[in-house]
Amino acid sequence: MKINIRYRIKEFKRGMAPHISEAKFMLRRIKKSPLSIAGISIIIFFAIIAVLAPVIAPPVNRNPYEIWLDGYASAPRPPGSPIIKNTKAIKLGYTTHILGTTPGQYDIYYGIVWGTITAFRVGILVVGGALIIGCAIGILAAYYGGVIDELMMRFTDIIFAFPGLVLAMALVLALPTTWKIDMFFYVFSAIGFIGFVILGFKILKLSSGQSLGFGFLGLIIFMLIDMYVLKSPSYWIMPLQLAKLDKALIALTIVGWPGYTRLIRGEVLRIKQEDYIEAAKAVGCSDFRIMYKHILPNSIYPILISASLDIGAIVLTAAALSFLGIGAETGYADWGQMISFARNYVDITMTNWYAFFIPGFFILLFVLGWNLLGDAFRDILDPMLRRK
Amino acid sequence: MGLATFIIRRLLWVVPTMLGVSILIFAVTMMFSPYQRAMLYIHNIQDLRGKNIDDIVATYGFNRPAYEQYLDWLGRVLRGDLGYSETSRDLVLSTILTRLPRTAEVVLPSIPIIVVVGIFLGVLSATHRDTIIDHITRVVAIFGWSLPTFWLAIMLLAIFSDTLGWFTPGTGGLPLGSEANEFVKIGGSWHTYTGMFTIDGLLNGQPWITIDALKHLVLPTMTLTIVSIALIIRIMRSSMLETLGKNYIITAKAKGLKNSVVINKHARRNALIPVATVSGLLVAGLLTGVVITETIFDIDGLGRWAARAAGTGGAIDLPGILGFALFTCVVYVTANLIVDALYAYLDPRIRLG
Repeated sequence: MKINIRYRIKEFKRGMAPHISEAKFMLRRIKKSPLSIAGISIIIFFAIIAVLAPVIAPPVNRNPYEIWLDGYASAPRPPGSPIIKNTKAIKLGYTTHILGTTPGQYDIYYGIVWGTITAFRVGILVVGGALIIGCAIGILAAYYGGVIDELMMRFTDIIFAFPGLVLAMALVLALPTTWKIDMFFYVFSAIGFIGFVILGFKILKLSSGQSLGFGFLGLIIFMLIDMYVLKSPSYWIMPLQLAKLDKALIALTIVGWPGYTRLIRGEVLRIKQEDYIEAAKAVGCSDFRIMYKHILPNSIYPILISASLDIGAIVLTAAALSFLGIGAETGYADWGQMISFARNYVDITMTNWYAFFIPGFFILLFVLGWNLLGDAFRDILDPMLRRK
Repeated sequence: MGLATFIIRRLLWVVPTMLGVSILIFAVTMMFSPYQRAMLYIHNIQDLRGKNIDDIVATYGFNRPAYEQYLDWLGRVLRGDLGYSETSRDLVLSTILTRLPRTAEVVLPSIPIIVVVGIFLGVLSATHRDTIIDHITRVVAIFGWSLPTFWLAIMLLAIFSDTLGWFTPGTGGLPLGSEANEFVKIGGSWHTYTGMFTIDGLLNGQPWITIDALKHLVLPTMTLTIVSIALIIRIMRSSMLETLGKNYIITAKAKGLKNSVVINKHARRNALIPVATVSGLLVAGLLTGVVITETIFDIDGLGRWAARAAGTGGAIDLPGILGFALFTCVVYVTANLIVDALYAYLDPRIRLG
């Protein structure tokens, strides 16, 4: 038994060796490039702020993402002004408005600190969601080819034909605030899906990829049965409250995935021809296993780089939505919104510089960090440029 | 396959794409319940007097099956009837047509600057790889790419109009209440030819209006340029680096050609192809950028209208925002079509392969 474990560890080490040497190579390149070090430091800096948020800016309101108010006066107040009205904040240890207040007396310092969490959440959730959808569709399309490929890619093209911000604007408006989820509908459809997959796999002896497709057929049939025969919508309704920011996140995810689909499709089409895929097929691996174990790990790197570059862009788009007033709720800790508060106080005089300069500077820094990182990674991982 | 066949084939693809786009836009409409859509027709409580909201739903057929409504809507769109925009208090189609020149005035001057300067900087960066020039150019490009458009616009306003006083603060186009705007409004000797103040000023023999309009276009154009130029610099740099590593470049150098000839004649021309392909993305970026830029500089163009249709409170201007979405898609698909044709023209492998 002991030998077995040792053997396993040895095997594992041997298996991981190329990955480790790759990581070492990357680390060496990163150390050489000052830009990537700058990018990583910026992101670590923001990560520390996000983690320490409850300590360095203790929440005053019940919802920590609500920026605390100090009265309702419209004119912004400069950094270091005393707290006048909010006694609760004083009790919690705030002495002054460290970075001043926005017009409407939201505390800028608090908004900046908790806005960091918002920024991370927006970037990672949207890019992560888009990545999952995009990769799933791209791999399926490229692997099966033919009609499936054609249909899926045309659909992708259609979504791709929309400039992101515009479609996101329309979607944010259209998404309902209260999403009435009919749980019966979902459970029933899920039963249909799982049932058909098992039916296909166990009884009809289909391959795993085919039985997945068979499962989708079951899903559609059961959905239609529910919609037109059972007419269930009031069995089991679960209302889901969507905050305005959630709507923006969903909209951005819907808009964001086609880029990844196109990228990964190209990669998969290339990898599909490789000998090791042939070999995997020859030893009888299922389609699902080939896609998950062989194709995905070998095609994901360029997509991950593109994704890390996109986090910055997504944060910018979300900030733009907030600036237009269709992103986060009023008073929510969000950098874009804080700038929109300050908008009307720019023209008069530069004395109010802090109200728009500080939140904007933080957006710039955050996005810059991700872009520097992505840019450096691209140079490092690009096979055409790397070993020169 | 010749170039003409390629373009025709590509043109045929536009039809299903646009059909899909229209379905998607209609799907956005259908996400509203029939009652919500009926409510868009009620401006105040007097409208409802004596009527039931169910009547409105029935009149406009909001509760009919989706495909019937879609075909109905598609028929209307094809006839040019995009509905009535509450924000502009005008038909959507005529709103787009009257506002388009204002937007073009801002966007068009920025395109040549972006392309020419972007390509120049990209080549410079690639030919001086890993030197100080390369580092500075890359940092500038990444910096420009990381700037929030709205913040940049506000900062430019703060610096150039408030502190330095070079350009009149607050507004682009012709500012409300200014001498030029009054002159245009009163009419008389003013005749609108194109809708662009810069050109109309010259056509009307009023060059001072052209100069006034140009002054207000400097900052918005600058904003769009700074934000979008990074894309071209990056693509040009990496494509140039790739080309410089090719064998024929080494051959050219080996036979003793001057460095400038190798770069300008051999490398740059071939490195331009990927830049052509991302121009489609550039158009999309400009169209999005225009929403923010026009909002901040108060230019009465398409972008500001769309932002107001989507953002400002009260009733949602659904026809407005969907009309804008449809319009941007048409522009985007057309731009991509041109880009593809250009691509096929530049790179014979595409049309022959």
